[in-house]
Amino acid sequence: MSNWLGRGLRRGLLTTRYPFEEAEMPQRYRGRVRLIEGAPSQAVVRAGSVCLSNAIELQNESGRVRLSRCFQCGACEREAPDAVHISNDFEVAISDGEAGAARHRLRERIRSLGRSFMIRHVDAGSDASCDQEIQALFNPFYDINRLGFFLTASPRHADLLLVTGVVTHAMAGPLRETYDAMPDPRIVVAVGTAACSGSIFLTGRDVVGPVHLVLPVDVRIPGAPPSPFSIINGLWVAVGRAKAQLAAPRR
Amino acid sequence: MIDAGRTTVHAAAEGVRAAIAGGARFVAAFYDQADDVRQIRYVIAEKTGLALTAGVIGDDPVPALSADIPAADWAEREIRDRFGVEFAGIPEARRLLPPSDPGSYRRSAAPEVSTVVYGPVRSGIVESARWVIETAGEDFIAVYPSMFFKHRGLEHLFTTVDLQRATFVAEHVSGATAASHAICFALAVERALGIRLADTDRAARLVLIEFERIHQHLDALAKLADDGSLAVGAAQTFAAKERVHRLLAEATGNRFSRGTVRVGGVYGDLLGAFRAVCAQCLDEVEREATSVVDGLFRTQSLLDRLIGTGKLSSELVTHYGSVGPVARGNGVSTDVRMTADVLFSIGEGDEALEEDGDAFARARVRATEIRRSFFIVRDALNAAVSASTPPKATQRSGVGLARVESPQGELVYFVRVVDGRLARVAIRAASFANWPLLVHALPGNIFTDFSFIEHSFGLIQAETDR
Repeated sequence: MSNWLGRGLRRGLLTTRYPFEEAEMPQRYRGRVRLIEGAPSQAVVRAGSVCLSNAIELQNESGRVRLSRCFQCGACEREAPDAVHISNDFEVAISDGEAGAARHRLRERIRSLGRSFMIRHVDAGSDASCDQEIQALFNPFYDINRLGFFLTASPRHADLLLVTGVVTHAMAGPLRETYDAMPDPRIVVAVGTAACSGSIFLTGRDVVGPVHLVLPVDVRIPGAPPSPFSIINGLWVAVGRAKAQLAAPRR
Repeated sequence: MIDAGRTTVHAAAEGVRAAIAGGARFVAAFYDQADDVRQIRYVIAEKTGLALTAGVIGDDPVPALSADIPAADWAEREIRDRFGVEFAGIPEARRLLPPSDPGSYRRSAAPEVSTVVYGPVRSGIVESARWVIETAGEDFIAVYPSMFFKHRGLEHLFTTVDLQRATFVAEHVSGATAASHAICFALAVERALGIRLADTDRAARLVLIEFERIHQHLDALAKLADDGSLAVGAAQTFAAKERVHRLLAEATGNRFSRGTVRVGGVYGDLLGAFRAVCAQCLDEVEREATSVVDGLFRTQSLLDRLIGTGKLSSELVTHYGSVGPVARGNGVSTDVRMTADVLFSIGEGDEALEEDGDAFARARVRATEIRRSFFIVRDALNAAVSASTPPKATQRSGVGLARVESPQGELVYFVRVVDGRLARVAIRAASFANWPLLVHALPGNIFTDFSFIEHSFGLIQAETDR
C-alpha cells in the first residue's frame, strides 16, 4: 500500500503564490515578443519576413507586434536580434473592451451567491498542448481551486468557457451549442494562439478560423501553448481582477 | 524523382499483400499526385526497416487491401474520402471524414439495444471526438469511433510554406508531442535531400524525444490514477509531469520544447543548454517521476481497476498493425528505436515488453519506459560527441521517409520535395494506427471502464485528425 499522505507531507508546499506574488517563470521561457525601440526598419522587415503567422506588421517607419498571432517560435529574434527582444513576460492576455459589462455582471452574481467560478472547456481543433496546459492548472503547482475556479462537467453550470484550438468546420456547431447551453452572464476565453487568431491556419481551407468568428470572445490568451501562469493571468482578467492590454480594432 | 508510369496500383497492392502474408506489418497508404500521375504509395515495415512502394492509379478502381487486412481500413477510407479515389472492396462504406451522422452507425436491430452518442464535446478536459456506443444496459455491445472533428488540413498546409519554417507546421500537428513530429518531419526532409547531421544535434534530438516520452507517459498514468478516483496519486503524478515541463522551459524556452528543431539539426547549442539545466535538476525530476510511478503501482485500489480491463490478444494487435505501448503491452515488438533505420538505436533486450494485454500491462510498459528514457537522456548528455558540421547537401529534390518512436508509438512522415519546395507531406501518426483497435478492447467491459481503457491507450486526437 502506498502512503500518499506521507509523500505529500514530505514534499511540502509546492503551490505558487501567483497572482498575489511573483510567478516562478524560467529565465529562458519565450513569452512576450517586443520590438526594440529605434530599431532600423530594415531589421524589423527582416524579423517580419520570417514570421509564419504574420505577427510582426510594418507601420509607417516602425513596426508592431500582434501578440494574438505569435506562437512563440523565436524565429524573429534569431533572424533580427537588433530588432526583436523576447522576454519571459507571460502576462500576455488581451481583453476585449466591450466585454466589461458581462464581466461586471458575472462578478456581481458570483459575489451575491457567494460561490466559485465554474469553468467549461471545449476543444475546437487544438493541437493537444493547450488542453494539457489547462489540465496543468489543477496540479499542485498551480492549484486554481485556491483562486475559486472549478471545472464543471455541464455547460448549464458554467460561467467561463475556455476554448482551445482553431475552430474547424466540424467543431463550429458543437462549440456554438455548448455556448448556447450556458446561462447568462457568460464569458468566453480563447486559450492559445490558434484560438486567438487562427495562427498558422489563417490561410487554411479546412478551418473556420479563430474563436471570435463563431462566439463573442472576452479574453484572449496567446501562446503555443500558453503557460499555466499565462492562463491564470487570463482568468484573472476575465473575472475583472487584473487589467490587460486592450484588443486592437479588428479589420 | 517520381518513379512514374511503371508499376500499376494493382501490382503494388499485390506486392504489399504478399509481403504482409510473409510477416511484414502494414504501416500506411498515402495518395500522391504529381502533374497528371496519380499514385498510391504503400509503406510496410520489415525486420530491416520501412519499405516504400508506389503504384499508378489507372481507370479501374483501386483494389482494397482492407478487404482482408484490417490495418489498411482507415488509410484507404481516408484516401477515398479526402481525394475521391475509387476503391473496389472496402468493407466499410461509412465515411471516415468528415464525420458521419451518428445515426448511420446503428447496426443492432434488437429493441433492448440503445445507441448512445458520446461527444464530440465531452465532460472534463478532453480532446474532441465522438463515440457511438450500442448498449443494452451497462455493457458495451459495439462501439464505433467517429473522429476527424479536428481535421485542420495540416498536410496541405505544409505545401504552402517554405522548407525551413515547415518544422513549425509539424509542431502544430500535435503540440503535446511537438518534438517527435518536428524531428520526424526534419528527418524525412534530410533523407530526401541527402542532408547529414552533426553528432551533437543528433544527441540533442534524442534528449528532446525521450523527455517528451517521459511527460506524455506521466500524463497517461496520471489520467489513469484520476479515473481510479485516486486524487492524491493523480495530483502527484501531474506534479511530476510539471517538473519535466519546467526543465524543458528552462533548457529550450518552451514547456513542450517547441521552436527547437530545424531541417539539418537543431537551433543553437541545445545539447549544451540541456547539459547545464540537467546538471541542476535532472536528479530531482527523475526521483519524483520514478517514485510517484512506484507509488501508483503499490496502490491496490487502482490496480484492481486496471488488471484484466480492456484486454486484447496479440493476434488482434498484429492484425491491426498496432504500434507503441499498446502493441508492447501484448508482447508485440514495435519499438522503432530497436531498428537501424532510425535516429538512435537502443540495445537488444531494452524494449519494454509485457504479455498480459490489459490496461495494467500497458501501464507497466509506460512505467518501464519512463525509467529507460531517463537512462537514455543521461547517456546522450554524457556522450562525447563532436560538433563538427557535415558537408552541405546539394540536392534540391527527392523523396524521403522517416520514422521515430513517439510516446504513442511509431510515427511516420513521408515527404516529396521538388526544387526545394514541399510538394507532398503525408503523416501516419501512432494514434491513427491504434484507434481502430480500441474498439476491440471495449466489448466485455462496462461503461465505467471506458476511461480506463481510453487512457491506457494514451492516444492523441490532434495527430490523428491532422
